[in-house]
Amino acid sequence: MAHDTHHHKESFITKYIFSQDHKMIAKQYLLTAIFMGAIGITLSALFRMKLGWPDEKFPLLEAILGSDAAPDGLLDSNWYLGLVTLHGTIMVFFVLTGGLSGTFSNLLIPLQVGARDMASGLLNMVAYWLFFLSSLLMAASLFIETGPAMAGWTVYPPLSVLAEFQPGSGLGMTLWLLSMTVFIASSLIGGINYIVTILNLRTKGMTMTRLPLTIWAFFITAILGVLSFPVLLSAAVLLLMDRSFGTSFYMSDIVTSSGALDATGGSPILYEHLFWFLGHPEVYIILLPALGMTSEIISTCARKPIFGYRAMIGSMLAIGFLSFIVWGHHMFLTGMNPFLGGVFTFTTLLIAIPSAVKAFNYITTIWKGNVVMTPAMLFCIGSVSTFISGGVTGIILADSALDISQHDTYFVVGHFHIVMGMTAILGMFAGIYHWFPKMYGKAMNKRMGMVHFWITIICGYGVFLPMHFLGEGGLPRRYYENTNFPMFDHFLDLNILISIFASVGVIAQVIFFFNFFYSIFRGPRSSQNPWNSNSLEWTTPVEHVHGNWIGEIPIVHRWPYDYSKPGKEKDFVPQNVPLDDNEEEH
Amino acid sequence: MEIKFIIIITVALFFIALVQLMKVYDLAAKVRGEKSQEKVSRSENMLMANLMLIFMIAFFGFVIWLIAKYGSNSGLYTAATEHGQEIDQLLMFNWWIILPVFFITNTLLFGFSWKYYYREERTALYYPHNNKLEAVWTIVPAIALAFIVIYGLMTWNKIMYNQEKGEVVEVYAYQFGWIVRYSGVDNTLGKADYKMVSATNPLGVITQKTITETYNEIDQRVNDIDSTLSNNINAEGKYLLPDSKVDKLQEELDRNKRRKYRIEASIDRKNGNSTVYESSDDDIIVQEIHLVKNQPYTFKFRSKDVIHCPWFPHFRAQINAVPGMETSFALTPTITTEEMRADPDVIKHWENINVIHNERKRRIGEEEERVLFDYVLMCNKICGAGHSNMQLKVIVETQEEFNNWIENNGDNKRLTFSGQEVNWSKTKEQASL
Repeated sequence: MAHDTHHHKESFITKYIFSQDHKMIAKQYLLTAIFMGAIGITLSALFRMKLGWPDEKFPLLEAILGSDAAPDGLLDSNWYLGLVTLHGTIMVFFVLTGGLSGTFSNLLIPLQVGARDMASGLLNMVAYWLFFLSSLLMAASLFIETGPAMAGWTVYPPLSVLAEFQPGSGLGMTLWLLSMTVFIASSLIGGINYIVTILNLRTKGMTMTRLPLTIWAFFITAILGVLSFPVLLSAAVLLLMDRSFGTSFYMSDIVTSSGALDATGGSPILYEHLFWFLGHPEVYIILLPALGMTSEIISTCARKPIFGYRAMIGSMLAIGFLSFIVWGHHMFLTGMNPFLGGVFTFTTLLIAIPSAVKAFNYITTIWKGNVVMTPAMLFCIGSVSTFISGGVTGIILADSALDISQHDTYFVVGHFHIVMGMTAILGMFAGIYHWFPKMYGKAMNKRMGMVHFWITIICGYGVFLPMHFLGEGGLPRRYYENTNFPMFDHFLDLNILISIFASVGVIAQVIFFFNFFYSIFRGPRSSQNPWNSNSLEWTTPVEHVHGNWIGEIPIVHRWPYDYSKPGKEKDFVPQNVPLDDNEEEH
Repeated sequence: MEIKFIIIITVALFFIALVQLMKVYDLAAKVRGEKSQEKVSRSENMLMANLMLIFMIAFFGFVIWLIAKYGSNSGLYTAATEHGQEIDQLLMFNWWIILPVFFITNTLLFGFSWKYYYREERTALYYPHNNKLEAVWTIVPAIALAFIVIYGLMTWNKIMYNQEKGEVVEVYAYQFGWIVRYSGVDNTLGKADYKMVSATNPLGVITQKTITETYNEIDQRVNDIDSTLSNNINAEGKYLLPDSKVDKLQEELDRNKRRKYRIEASIDRKNGNSTVYESSDDDIIVQEIHLVKNQPYTFKFRSKDVIHCPWFPHFRAQINAVPGMETSFALTPTITTEEMRADPDVIKHWENINVIHNERKRRIGEEEERVLFDYVLMCNKICGAGHSNMQLKVIVETQEEFNNWIENNGDNKRLTFSGQEVNWSKTKEQASL
């Protein structure tokens, strides 16, 4: 490689904006995700105000959202659905897919496999800028008069097709589809790049079974994305055609206020199949990177090898494979053939097995460890806890018979927010705290990190645990107000409690934002290997250099989890340290 | 404007305060001689470990409090249908597996985090793998899941393969409400088609009469549009209306013409052969759902516009209503509304609900009212602005009460599509003879 021989001077634009360096692109992803995340969680706090205090007028709402959305401080019912929709879309796609994978796959893949950069720096840059563009489009849809898309983040037709059904299905929905199309292009370009880099650019000695689990997670995630996102793209294109060119892929037998429509022969269920064929792997596209980073951080901070390294890889592969044959569990009640429902119940419950393996392996890793309570480790413990707590309720929802009484109630909202939302968000925070020194060469404030963790986990559970009980009481999700049914009146208090936890939780994120930005500029300089970690990224210099390593790329001699290995002087042995004579690898 | 200004100022001041606090903190750390943000001190490790334990206790306490206060099926009581009972049993079975797993694994996680926090003198155990352990936690969950899957699928099959034996009732969903049609003596719903839906025929039921009415309605609309267009044309043959309006009208005009053609081509059997429409003769459209206790029903669902999801929480019954396709759900109610209202748990619960309900009414300045328990049908699939208020009262009663209702609840409810009056109970008796 010629990288270390010529150090060409870079202009501001090529260094900070149109950079092709994976470390800079990772930071760009992270900043965009933080920006989108701030919007996403703010939206949730706003619509929680309506749910907690259904009759209160909040001038704040009118001040933030404008008088169309919240006349006299009372949130409009269409806009309520708009906020819910954008909250879901932003959190799922922009923060936890684009943001999470984009940031950490970019940062860690070349650094941990020992590569100078991504396979294609140019494509990497293109992927980021497409992501940025799609973020702008999505955020822009909040600023149009008729409001953003309002059909829920799944945007089922026919609701999402005609503006007559809800105002958000006009321009707002068009922007949603455009944004998602660009987003999918970005994901695909990014994903291919990750796969190619992992397969081809590993340094000498870095066999697939010496890869850190983070890389395995990113690898499987990228494969899931590349296989499933094109299906969403086709779903979106067909939807676009139904909306704009008079086709009827998803439309049939529909009557509007101006009479029967021409559309015939299509079916909205087709859309649901296409959507969930992405939608379910998407859950693991979100989860796996978080779980991968959690594995790495737990092992490092427990000063103990990850328990069952190969079983962890195997369970991730199993989860990845199974995630493609379970999408129907979102559709048990669409009138599908009961036999098909049974099949999907079976495949879905199978996923519980590899998930259980992962959970127990985490716990065994901590057992008899020597756990350093860095903020990253705290978030990892929280993440494992939410993975368990949310995972077990999934057993109920996977059961088609039980789905009859739980489907689309708040039970579902509680379940997926804990297992997917919180696990991934906590994992992402863990990643940020852990690799911040690698990204910015600075240290984040640890006390603030600790406070941030405790408030976040308390508020997270405080919001989503009670939701299970709302759902058991039959309360449907996406209700603008629950007061139309006296039978839900006894939940008024519980909804206030949830809203309080939600507001506190959202406001508490200011601690994080502040810590993050303050530390970028004023944090103390970090040391080269602050967590005494084994993986290769900590062998690079603190100040970023183009090509990652000055001089040769280190050669790998062992797996990355030799912590507290008997007979060693220190409690960690980096991957580039050769094996002693007679030393077994692990 | 003022509010925005105040918000901005507050946020800005908040950040300035934070920055100042951080500076103080940094200085204090320097004075104390702390060098690094990267090393977690012994006391911090211990504090975090203890917090893990405290958090776990609080967390479990919260879960137990929620279970004690809201329990399972809070406000839904015992299932009021045959299959609902089975679903509830299955749910209980699942909870008895899930809750121990939840408590045990979380205890292990937080307990180990508390017990094994970092101390310099300790060394972690080098324990990379153990195939026996891995096998244990693959096989044990697999066995537990086998029970869950088998029991679950047995229940599912029992419910879903039992669709065709009850009395047929149609529920038609639209933005934002429901229309209910009883199939009458022949237990067969009259054919309906979305092209026939109009103000006077909301379900699109096909009879010779509704076909003629629909033709008239379409012709009327076509004429209206034609005259609107021709009245707004100037000498040069240009429309005086805005282009978008003209386009809209012309589109509607074409659509109506096509609709008429499609009705002629595919629905209209032409006069004389009206026997095909006979099954609608005894169909009855009503405003409430009345069901007879212990009578099996097969609900048929259609949707006018978008996907809805009829949800009967007390019956543990729901299935989507999808435009362009008919779905069905069979259920047998087992508890009448009156019996439910007389249940001590329900009485106690609804006393509480009345207190909360009227507290709110007073607060928002509305008139107080006494609310009673009722079965209800609501929508459980996002369908637009009125999604949260698509409600319909459901009443379960005895056969006599039902007969009384269907015969005496106003003429409009007894008038059928053929325009004849039908004596429900008499014809029913005849049919059974």
